[in-house]
Amino acid sequence: MNSQPDTPDLANAGASSDIQAGRYYGRGIPYLPIEGYPGKLIAIEGTDGVGRSTQIQLLREWLEVKGYGVIETGWTRSPLMQPTIELAKSSNTLNKLTFVLLYATDFADRMEKEIIPALKAGFVVLSDRYIFTALARAGVRGVDRLWLRSLYGFGIAPHLVFYLNVDVKTLIARVLAARGMDFWESGMDLKVGDDIYDSFRAYQSKLLKEYGSMADEFHFRVVDARRSIDKIQEELRKQVAAFLEPGAASKSDG
Amino acid sequence: MTFSLLHATDFADRLLYKIIPPLKDGMIVLADRYAYTAFARDATRGVDRQWVRELYSFAVRPDLSLYFRVPIDMSVDRLMARRVKLKFYEAGMDLGWSTNPVESFRMFQGKVLDEYDRLVEEFGLEVVSAVGSITEQQRIVRGLVSQQLQINHVEIPDEQPA
Ligand SMILES: Nc1ncnc2c1ncn2[C@@H]1O[C@H](COP(=O)(O)OP(=O)(O)OP(=O)(O)O)[C@@H](O)[C@H]1O
Ligand SMILES: [Mg+2]
Repeated sequence: MNSQPDTPDLANAGASSDIQAGRYYGRGIPYLPIEGYPGKLIAIEGTDGVGRSTQIQLLREWLEVKGYGVIETGWTRSPLMQPTIELAKSSNTLNKLTFVLLYATDFADRMEKEIIPALKAGFVVLSDRYIFTALARAGVRGVDRLWLRSLYGFGIAPHLVFYLNVDVKTLIARVLAARGMDFWESGMDLKVGDDIYDSFRAYQSKLLKEYGSMADEFHFRVVDARRSIDKIQEELRKQVAAFLEPGAASKSDG
Repeated sequence: MTFSLLHATDFADRLLYKIIPPLKDGMIVLADRYAYTAFARDATRGVDRQWVRELYSFAVRPDLSLYFRVPIDMSVDRLMARRVKLKFYEAGMDLGWSTNPVESFRMFQGKVLDEYDRLVEEFGLEVVSAVGSITEQQRIVRGLVSQQLQINHVEIPDEQPA
């Protein structure tokens, strides 16, 4: 509810062209100023089952060997909200708006209690998913995109966002081989049909498009995730090294 | 932030299930507290004012919003008279302004009242002085409500059954 419904003040609210890595996207958290902290925030984004966790685990080991302190954070992993979100998922009574707000609450909790303290303490924070998952899921469910961007204005723009890009065909093969399709990843709540395979395919195609549409706006570094685990990891390490140790970038350590 | 978002989630749930359906059915909905409560409380807790307003932009703008204004001393006296135990968050104890619940309540609610004064102007809330007797307040409220209902009545031309 805005005092001037016709001209909502979104100038600073969402992600515009002036996103600055390491700073708040929008209006931020006024009581938590974040000037000049030593840590780095790296987000690994990508749709369900694309291979984020695999890459993060490898990246973490590599960074730790190099002597960095690493902290991982992930979606709906806040101790505060996880039980509530699990309950909401299982009961099916929540509508899309309340769902979006629950996800945002979870993220806010991790932002304040995990991410910002870790950045201030000098850690490299590896985020398994970031706000883009929330934006994509809500976007395909018809939630207003400007409102979503304003909502997440308290998030910090990561120093690096890697987007693991994949096509639906590759994704289906990967997910079936690994663990099968899950109700939510198939968008079954959207009730487009009873067939989980068709639903997964249609829903994931929409999601991929939604992610893709955010690539420029949020400065994604798009990584071709159709390749082998090793090839993807190699590319991630190269880019992370170039960012963390710009001087040493040429002296490759293989 | 978490506090603010949890309240917004609860509000969204009530709005979608308890407020919008009766409105669609043409009923009058009386809401005890609304988004303005969040605007005042969250701003006092240091959340960005504009952000909270945008957060609640999914809410329906009320046809009439009444704000019962009291001086902070009277608010404290009334609470004490009811001998209620001050709620931890209501007294803003989490902000650590004072270890004395009554003192903390006074400081916190004093700031909340300042925020409400901003809202009166910004959103055109109707101020009802809550200093007077209940009967007196009710008389004013009924006046404002019937005025509002008449306005609405006039705005809708006689509906002819199709
Ligand atoms: N590049 C790849 N090529 C083939 N298989 C892969 C690749 N990356 C990961 N996998 C396999 O796909 C499965 C899912 O991987 P992973 O758990 O890392 O995905 P995720 O994106 O974290 O999934 P979720 O969305 O469930 O968290 C695993 O069995 C993993 O071994
Ligand atoms: Mg995973």
